[in-house]
Amino acid sequence: MHIPDGFLSPGVWGTLDVIAIPAIGTLARRAQREFDEHKVPLLGVMGAFVFAAQMINFPVGIGTTGHLVGGALLAYALGPAAAAIVMTAILATQALIFQDGGILALGANVLNMAIAGVLAGYLPFQVWGRGPHRKAAIFLGGFLSLMVSAVLALSELTVSGVRMPPAVLGVSLSLFVVSAVLEGAITLAVVQALEAINPGFIRQPRAERSLAIWVLAGVSIFLSACGIALAASNPDGIERLIENAGIASHTQKLMVTPLSNYKLASAHYPWLGQALAGLAGLLVVYALCAFIGRAIRRSRRIASVAEGSA
Amino acid sequence: MHHVRIEGWSARQSFLHRRDPRAKSLVLLTFLIAIGTADRRFAEIAACSVGLFLFAVITSRLPLGGILARSALVLPFSLTFALISYISGDAHRAWLLTGKSYLSALGVLVLMATTPLPQLLRGLEEMHVPRHLLMVMQFLYRYLFVISEEAQHMRAAGACRGGTLRGLQRRRAGFSAAAGILGVLFARSHARAQGVHYAMLSRGFSGSIPALDPLHFATMDAIFLAAGVALFSTLRLVAGAA
Repeated sequence: MHIPDGFLSPGVWGTLDVIAIPAIGTLARRAQREFDEHKVPLLGVMGAFVFAAQMINFPVGIGTTGHLVGGALLAYALGPAAAAIVMTAILATQALIFQDGGILALGANVLNMAIAGVLAGYLPFQVWGRGPHRKAAIFLGGFLSLMVSAVLALSELTVSGVRMPPAVLGVSLSLFVVSAVLEGAITLAVVQALEAINPGFIRQPRAERSLAIWVLAGVSIFLSACGIALAASNPDGIERLIENAGIASHTQKLMVTPLSNYKLASAHYPWLGQALAGLAGLLVVYALCAFIGRAIRRSRRIASVAEGSA
Repeated sequence: MHHVRIEGWSARQSFLHRRDPRAKSLVLLTFLIAIGTADRRFAEIAACSVGLFLFAVITSRLPLGGILARSALVLPFSLTFALISYISGDAHRAWLLTGKSYLSALGVLVLMATTPLPQLLRGLEEMHVPRHLLMVMQFLYRYLFVISEEAQHMRAAGACRGGTLRGLQRRRAGFSAAAGILGVLFARSHARAQGVHYAMLSRGFSGSIPALDPLHFATMDAIFLAAGVALFSTLRLVAGAA
């Protein structure tokens, strides 16, 4: 689900762009470290592969076909950081050349599909990928990668004030579930085909578990669970949800300084202020988790260095 | 294939084609923000921008019909949501969704039709977009058509072999055949990437692609940038204040 420009309210695309830019910078550096820079052709060609994979139709029902979206598959083959970079490159190419998704909305699309989708897809594989539930983990990864990005996109649209009657919401949510199940099945089938050719194509999850990825992926899934709640309740329900969560008052205060323009704007559009407050609350949680994850990782590295020198 | 057409457009020569990609992308960004934040008097901004873009398209010797039709690729998505908004009684939002998404797509397309992608990416690199990401994009674009063609061949081959089965059996066979196709396509892409990589290493690739013609930010680019940014921000402010 590529959101074009003009769908998200300024507060939503602005905030998401501000979050996405440093996130991509960090991931790019991480991918560069994991994959030495010389291997850049592989990442590009894998992006082209995901593009081309959309041409191969998988028959599902009477007259219907589906195709691979590929976030989870890329994460299994390249590792989550490199997969996020490849997905970002795909999204940017689609926005620039294929008029599929907007430029201002690129931050939102990148967060939904390249970051949250890829990480949520990788999480089950990281946890159960070595054990007896490997197949289920691969399926679940494909399912989650699509479901998380679709629900995030839907909730961003809802927060931006694109109103959808409950019937439409229900239909689109069930469509998401169907296509997510399909993505899981396709991912599993392709992984099995790949391993028949060469087991080395799929990276084994590392025994040493990266906390940052755990936290980020967990938060992605949590955010989209919030998104379902957000989308399922009617637009007035958003307000109630935020009040219930108790974040409205804090975020309103937080928002005043950096985004005073929007505060002004929200005098004219009350929904804008509420929407911003809600989203900012969710994003503050997200950013906090990412930050804590990084800090823990760094302190661990320092500890291991100290151990080495001692 | 429509992307080939864009590449043909971007190779033409005109005032807009000659402008520095950095100047063009910043002007586009201003335009997108002006459109993206407009609300109540969107019609005026929209009318002015359409006029400006028609002028730009004609003076850049681009085919007007082709550009307008290409930008309409965004409409199926936005019209669906516009229809939903309209039915739920929000006609203003329906109009905003359609207008904003179409105009933004038009703006991006005019940039892409006057700037070859490698040049745009180099401009973005100068603007500190992570180089790693831009290189991935460059390889992606370069091999997109190669791999797509391979996928088409394999799809045709698959159809030739599995075309006679019917019903549930065909569906199951078709599913695993499609998975097999993707597996082989992945393996071939992987091998191709390795070949490309070795060839690059043997020619002295050291982690970055050298620029053949370095970008040159001329005075005219500065004037164009200032004029474009001033124009779109005034447009937005005037419409917003009224």
